[in-house]
Amino acid sequence: MNQNINITRYIWLTLSALLLLSHTVAAENHKHMTADKGVKTSTQPCQSAEIRCAKTVTSAFAPNGDLWRLWSHDQRLHYQVSADKGQSFSASKQVDIAAENISARNENRPKIAFDKLNGVYLSWARAGEKKYTADVRFSYSADYGKQFSEPVTVNNDNLLTGHSFNELHVSADGQVSIVWLDGRLSYQLRKQGKEANGSAIFLAQANPSKNTAEFTNKQLANGTCVCCRIAIDVNQNAELAVFWRHIFGDNIREFALLTLNKKQQPSLLQISHDHWRINGCPHQGGGLSIDQNNRYHMVWFNQGDKGKGIFYASSIDAGKTLTTPLSIGKQSAQASHPHVIQNQNKVDIVWTQFTGTEHQLWSQSSIDNGKTFAPAKQLAQAKFGADRPFLIKHGNRNYISWQRPQQGHWITAL
Amino acid sequence: MINHDNNKFIIALVAWLMTTLINTTLMAKETAKETAKETAFDAVEFEQIKQLQMGRPWLMLLWSVDCPPCFKELKMISNLSQQVEGLAIVIVNTDEQVEASERQQIIDDYQLQQFQHFYFEDGKNDHNRFVIDPSWYGELPRSYFVDANGKFHGKSGLINEAILSKWLIPN
Repeated sequence: MNQNINITRYIWLTLSALLLLSHTVAAENHKHMTADKGVKTSTQPCQSAEIRCAKTVTSAFAPNGDLWRLWSHDQRLHYQVSADKGQSFSASKQVDIAAENISARNENRPKIAFDKLNGVYLSWARAGEKKYTADVRFSYSADYGKQFSEPVTVNNDNLLTGHSFNELHVSADGQVSIVWLDGRLSYQLRKQGKEANGSAIFLAQANPSKNTAEFTNKQLANGTCVCCRIAIDVNQNAELAVFWRHIFGDNIREFALLTLNKKQQPSLLQISHDHWRINGCPHQGGGLSIDQNNRYHMVWFNQGDKGKGIFYASSIDAGKTLTTPLSIGKQSAQASHPHVIQNQNKVDIVWTQFTGTEHQLWSQSSIDNGKTFAPAKQLAQAKFGADRPFLIKHGNRNYISWQRPQQGHWITAL
Repeated sequence: MINHDNNKFIIALVAWLMTTLINTTLMAKETAKETAKETAFDAVEFEQIKQLQMGRPWLMLLWSVDCPPCFKELKMISNLSQQVEGLAIVIVNTDEQVEASERQQIIDDYQLQQFQHFYFEDGKNDHNRFVIDPSWYGELPRSYFVDANGKFHGKSGLINEAILSKWLIPN
């Protein structure tokens, strides 16, 4: 009997100990879960489809003076239109096309352009399931946004590789040019067991309004940086010019320019000589704006031994010769992400700086076509991160478009 | 007789509890194995990292899912960690707009779960970068070779595997 009581006592003790232990494990698990929850609530990501929550915004003027702004949320494209140059906007609309994985962060973002026939053109990169695979996509509306065409893939290689960082230009009569960073050449090299460094630049052209919707693909350059946006513009001879970060020699990342001359094969010209050697991702593309006299105005960012920070220079001969690069912004204040626009005799440059607590939008202007610039001015601030700033123009006025996540999109005339 | 039944019941209960407990523990371990622990990076965490690593050379690697060369550096670290245990490496992801699962998948793919992992919270990219090094512009991969006295030597771009192994594996 005594022994029986002892066994019972022993069992009860073990049971209590086990219960206590299991409770501790549960409490420990609970602590982890609470900690995770805490992290999630403290960041409070802005999740709605409204523009305030967008990471990137793309703005452009239609020929009738309407200002459109475009952003992506949850695999969809959304837009708003302003009839008063950005003072007020229409209710936001969703582009009526099937959901897909639209790339919209940092250097990669959807693009919008117009023709003079009520055409609205969209282009974006659709990320694939596999890392670093994407396709360049295109859709357009012939009726000023009432209906959009079923998207098509612009790159024609059918390869599961990178096609992104797309830029879009549409001429007045609807000739579409899309330029992007393309991984097909390096993909093929790697398949053959060979080394490959960088991407290629490809161009696709079509005119959907004239029923030539099939995009041709043409290689423009090879050996480019794989993660910096491209800049494009069209000169007075209706030739497309492309400005991008290229890899020269042993990972020297410098800016290069080419103009698609109708007669000759395009030849690449090195623009920057800052000697930035980096086998990596600067995530900093440049800006290009061509004036009425075919002077090319360019801005870029480098961190080379010979040049650090933002630079502006112009060229009257499509990049063969260059003005002495002018340093822009405060290097010690993280001046980066420059953009440029030329209009009449005015050259405007914008960029961002960071104080350690606040993002700032800065600008510098020239009224003698880039020969001299007035002192830099701070235009706006952001508290919760900042998108890259972009300059657009309508008539003789320039406008800045700057997305400030959570705070809202900032657009104003300069 | 009643006592005997009682004991039987208690033994069954104990057996059930033990199974449950073992299962819970195993599951908890399994979860820990699958997903690396990640902590939000900030100035306070940074101070703690520095204090913890003080006294030996260590490496802080910053990477992004949008940076193909970063993956080569992660692969190098993965290879080295299979040769030598206990490498002094702290890994920081700088993506703001990326789902945690996307980062974790990559950490898992490269079998880097044993290292300390940090990430940048949404909207904090520039703040964190400034805390680490105001002269760094966000280019990636970014490697900081930190010596035993806590002095930082930053290098942008993919680093040479021999330099990396020399730094982390003293003779």
